Amino acid sequence: MGKSFLFKFFGSIESYICRTLLALFVLLLFAQIISREVFQYSIAWSEELATYMFVWFVFFGASYAARLSAHNRVTFQFRALPKKAVHVIEGIADLFWIAFNVYFVYLSFDFVFFKMNLFWKSQTLGIPMKYIYMILPLAFTLMTIRIIQVNYYKLVKGIDIRDPEKVEVEKMIDEREAGQKTE
Amino acid sequence: MDATETTIVLLLFGSFLGLLALGAPITVALGVSALISFLYLDENPIKFVQIAFTSVGSFPLMALPAFILAGALMEAAGISRRLVNVAESFAGPFTGGISAAAVFACLFFGAISGSGPATTAAVGMLMIPAMINRGYDKGFASAITASAGSLGIIIPPSIPLVIFGIAGLGLQAPPEAVEKFGAFQSVSIPKLFIAGFLPGLVISISLLIVNYILCRKHGYKGTAEDWSIRTVGCAMYSGFWSLLAPLVILGGIYTGFFTPTEAAIVAIFYTLVVGFFIHRELKWQDIGRCLETTTWLTGRVLLILFTATVFGRLLVENDIPAIIAQAMLSTTDNLYLIWAMLIGLLLFVGMFMETLATILILTPVLLPIAYSLGIDPIHFGIVMVCALGVGFQTPPLGENLFIASGISNVTIEEISIKALPFAAINTAAIFIIAYVPQITLWLPKLLGY
Repeated sequence: MGKSFLFKFFGSIESYICRTLLALFVLLLFAQIISREVFQYSIAWSEELATYMFVWFVFFGASYAARLSAHNRVTFQFRALPKKAVHVIEGIADLFWIAFNVYFVYLSFDFVFFKMNLFWKSQTLGIPMKYIYMILPLAFTLMTIRIIQVNYYKLVKGIDIRDPEKVEVEKMIDEREAGQKTE
Repeated sequence: MDATETTIVLLLFGSFLGLLALGAPITVALGVSALISFLYLDENPIKFVQIAFTSVGSFPLMALPAFILAGALMEAAGISRRLVNVAESFAGPFTGGISAAAVFACLFFGAISGSGPATTAAVGMLMIPAMINRGYDKGFASAITASAGSLGIIIPPSIPLVIFGIAGLGLQAPPEAVEKFGAFQSVSIPKLFIAGFLPGLVISISLLIVNYILCRKHGYKGTAEDWSIRTVGCAMYSGFWSLLAPLVILGGIYTGFFTPTEAAIVAIFYTLVVGFFIHRELKWQDIGRCLETTTWLTGRVLLILFTATVFGRLLVENDIPAIIAQAMLSTTDNLYLIWAMLIGLLLFVGMFMETLATILILTPVLLPIAYSLGIDPIHFGIVMVCALGVGFQTPPLGENLFIASGISNVTIEEISIKALPFAAINTAAIFIIAYVPQITLWLPKLLGY
C-alpha cells in the first residue's frame, strides 16, 4: 500500500505543488488588496514574492500539462489516419521536444550553477536569484520525464491519454445526460 | 531582402511549419525553429534561459491564472447557471426570443468568463435544450450557441486580450512609424478591456439581426403566454448575486479601482463567499478541481509565451515585420485593402490553430506591421481577437462546434453549415470594426485612458 501511495504521489507531484502555489499567491494578492484598501498599508515584498511563486507555478504547470498530454498540437491533418499511427507520428515529433528540453536543461543548469553568483539578489526580498532560476533546469527535467512517460503509456501499454479539455467537455455532457434520464 | 534575411525566414518558418505538420506541440515547433535559427546565426543561446524567466515573470500576467480560476469557480458556485436563467426568462413571446436570449446569455457570461469554449459550454448546456423544447431545430440551436460563444473572448474580461496585452507590451513602435504618424498610445490591459466593449456589442447586434431574420423564415415564434414579470422577477431575485459579479469585475477595472489582476482576485473571493454561504453549492472538492484545471491551462499557454517570445524577438531583430509591411505597401497603399488582407490572414490562421497560441505567434509579426501602417495598437488588438474568435465556430478546429455538437448530438458538419450565416455576419461586423476605428477607440478616450 505504501508503495502505491508513493507511486500516486509522484505521479502528479507537480499538481500538488502547483495547487499549493496557486492558492498561496492568490491569497497573498488578496491580502495585499485588503491591506492597501482597508489599512492603507502596502506590503512592499508581496508583489515580488507572488511573481516568483507564479513563475514556479507556470513551469511546474507546464510539466503537469505534459503529463496530461495537454499541450496543443495541430492535428487536423491526421484525421484520416488510425489512432495507432497518429501516436507513432506524435511520438517521433516528441523526440524533437526531448532534444530541445535536454539542450535547454544543459543551458539553464550551466547558467544557474556556473554563471550566476550569490550576490545577484532579488530587489525587495534579497533572495539570491540563483535559487529562483533553479526552477528552469528542474521543471524542464521533470517535463522530459513526463514526455517519455506519456509516450510509454501510449506506445507500449496502449493507454490512450487525451487532452483533458476534451475529456472534461465529454464528462460534462455525460453528466447532463445522466441527469436527464433520472428526471 | 538580403541573403541572411531570406535564409532566416526560410529556416524559421520552414522548420516551424514542418514541425507543426509532424504533430509536434506548437510550443515545441516555435522553440526548436528558434533554436535552429539561433545556432545558424551563431547567437548565444543563453538568451533562451533569460527569456524563459523574464517572459513569464511579469506581474500583469498573473491576471491569466486569476481569470481562469475565477471562471472555473463561478461555474462550480452556480453563478454561471443563474446568469443564463436570467437571460432565458427574458425570452418571452418574441420571434426568435429564446435564441436571442442565448446571445444575451453569452454576452452576460462573456463578462465573467474569459474563454469562448467555456461560454459555449455553460450557455449551451441550458439554452440548447430550452430551444429544442420550444420547437427550434437542433442544428440551428447548436449553431447560434456556437457562434455567440465567441463573444466570450471579446466582451471583457477576456483572456485573449490579456495575452495580446502581454505580447504587445514589449513591442515598441518603430521610430520611422512614430516619425510618420506621430506617437502611438501605449498598450495596456485595462485599456484593451474598455476598448473591447463596443466591438463586442456590434458583433452581438449583428448576430441578433441574422437570428431574427432566420427565425422569422423558419417560423420560430415565442411562447403563447405573455411576457411574465413574475418569471423575470424570480430569475433576477435568485440571480442577484450572479448579476453583481460582472458589475464588481468590470466596475472595479473601469473605475480604475483595481488592476485586471486584482479584479480577478476579488472575483475569486467574491465567488467563494457566494458559493459557500449564499448559494451553498460550492464544495471543497470543487476547489481542488478548479485549481488543477487552472494549473495545466496556464502551464500550457505560458510555455508557448516563452518560446513565442524568442521566436518573435528573432523576427524583430532581423526586421522581418518591416519587410512584410514594405511588401504589402508595394502592392497597395489603400488602408482598407490592407485591413482586408490582415483580416483574411487572421481568419485563415484562426481556423487551424488554437487562439492563444496564434496571438502569441502573430502579435510580434503583425503589430510592428500595424505600427508601420499607422494603425492604432489597441484598435489592432481588438480586431485581431475578434477575427480569431470566428475560428471557434468554423471547422476544422472550431472548439465551440465540438462542444455544441456534444450537447445536442447533431453532427459537426450540420452545425457548421448552419453556423455559416452567423460566421458571415460576424466577419462583416469585423470589417466594420476595422474600418471605423472610433467604435474601438471612442470609449477608452471618453473614460480618459
